[in-house]
Amino acid sequence: MRPVLLIAINFVREQRWPILVLLLWVLLLAFLGLATDAARQREDLLFVFKQVAVYVVAFSVFFGCSAIYNDRRSRRILSVLSKGIGRQQYLSGLVIGITLACSIYCFALGITGSWTLGQAGFPVQRVWFLMLCLIAACALAGTVALLFSTFLNPFFAAGATAAAMGLPALLSYTAGLPHLAYVMPVYALAATVLDSSFNSSSGVSWVPIVLSFVETLVLWLLSARIFSYVDIAVSVE
Amino acid sequence: MSAALEFEQVSKEYRSFLGRRRFRALDNFSLRVETGEIFGFLGPNGAGKTTAIHLAMGFMRPTSGSGRLLGERFGHDSVRRRVGFLPENIALYPRRAEQLVRFYGALNGMKGAVLKKRAREVLERVRLQDDVGRNVSKFSRGMLQRVGLAQALVNDPELLVLDEPTSALDPLARVGVRELLLQARAAGRTIFLSSHLLSEVELVCDRVGVLHRGRLVRLGKTADLLETRGRTEITARGVAAENFSGSAAHDGIVSFSVATSQQRAALEKIWGLGGDVISLNPERRSLEEIFLEVTAEADSASSEGLL
Repeated sequence: MRPVLLIAINFVREQRWPILVLLLWVLLLAFLGLATDAARQREDLLFVFKQVAVYVVAFSVFFGCSAIYNDRRSRRILSVLSKGIGRQQYLSGLVIGITLACSIYCFALGITGSWTLGQAGFPVQRVWFLMLCLIAACALAGTVALLFSTFLNPFFAAGATAAAMGLPALLSYTAGLPHLAYVMPVYALAATVLDSSFNSSSGVSWVPIVLSFVETLVLWLLSARIFSYVDIAVSVE
Repeated sequence: MSAALEFEQVSKEYRSFLGRRRFRALDNFSLRVETGEIFGFLGPNGAGKTTAIHLAMGFMRPTSGSGRLLGERFGHDSVRRRVGFLPENIALYPRRAEQLVRFYGALNGMKGAVLKKRAREVLERVRLQDDVGRNVSKFSRGMLQRVGLAQALVNDPELLVLDEPTSALDPLARVGVRELLLQARAAGRTIFLSSHLLSEVELVCDRVGVLHRGRLVRLGKTADLLETRGRTEITARGVAAENFSGSAAHDGIVSFSVATSQQRAALEKIWGLGGDVISLNPERRSLEEIFLEVTAEADSASSEGLL
């Protein structure tokens, strides 16, 4: 387990600049909280909060698409995988690293959201539930991206990830079958965040969160299986 | 003696995305590296040396054939804890040198005070003791190469696989690496050394193999390969150069080469003429000569369709 955590922490360290850029959005929300009257402009605050929240899902896809590619292109993967660790462990490290990177953001957003929205009357425990939804969505989206990036270049992997996550949601919307959105519940989780309001307390469902973690596990195993057949020393340029 | 590294009829073919273009990097390649030896792996660029190393390390799968690393099939994860690997043109994460070596040691299951002590020790062995706190992104290529060596040595490996370990090093650092390799062999370690620096290989390797176009074209003990072609080089003084055909004279010293079977007669002739023998050595070829010879032979055999 220790090598997996080391790879995860190393990943977060390598991604520190994108994470810091993401955290600037949280600062923006904090600034709005300071500069505005929370009670009077609560809808605006919630709108910004929701917008800022869903960015992290897109970032998890970018993290997932580029993680293996960056290590292969720089050839750093050779010195890592020349040690006594398996490719499954390496991928586990990346999945945990992506989730950890997004969790840092969600934690910062959760604290800022609790403060700003809490002042406006939004239930604090609901803010943290939404953060959990986001973390689950990021773990799944990052793993799907990682899965595609084991055999596709980052651009195609990003496209394939968007299709894999978006198609079930699109079908559920056009066919009027809401359960289809749970096939790949990233959209369902993002919708939970985007649909939240001061008035509604409904929509708190643990099903997409549980489903998301189960699918993350299954797709991680699948990506490890695919990755074990990849010639990692072959140039990716 | 058991084999530290073994390739059995290994072939590796690279294919383009749609499989239209193919390139055979290794062709029925077999090799056995014994435990405790320093093996020199030579070959021109594109011969397949790095491919063979990457197959051994489990970075890729052979198209056909199989191999064993320290008794386990290629690609076995935990056996790599007993192996140290230095890739060609090493790339490292931008961290402080000591932190980086500890990171790689920890990936091999090392921890705590043992890891800390060992990291310091190996950095000292590669003469980076004054730079342990500096970020490797600020290092020169030679220094990076030395950090690479340190990360390969941190787990005190039974087998060291080194791909061009001295390519970016200055002469002083090269001597240091040579000493390090000899110490490792004295401690019973096995070293698989791929290098273009033939003089280095000549000095440290027990056996060498020459790979050309994916095939092993020469294999043998370094001493045997460098051995004379049945001729002896004699230097003498107090005799005239005209008495010995093909001789050269410089400052009264005459040197010439004779067939080993004619050695006794040549010595008697020197003494008979009142001269003194200064030295008598079997004529040795350099590894460079052998390398050029075998690659040229392989090229001509290949053009005649024999390979």
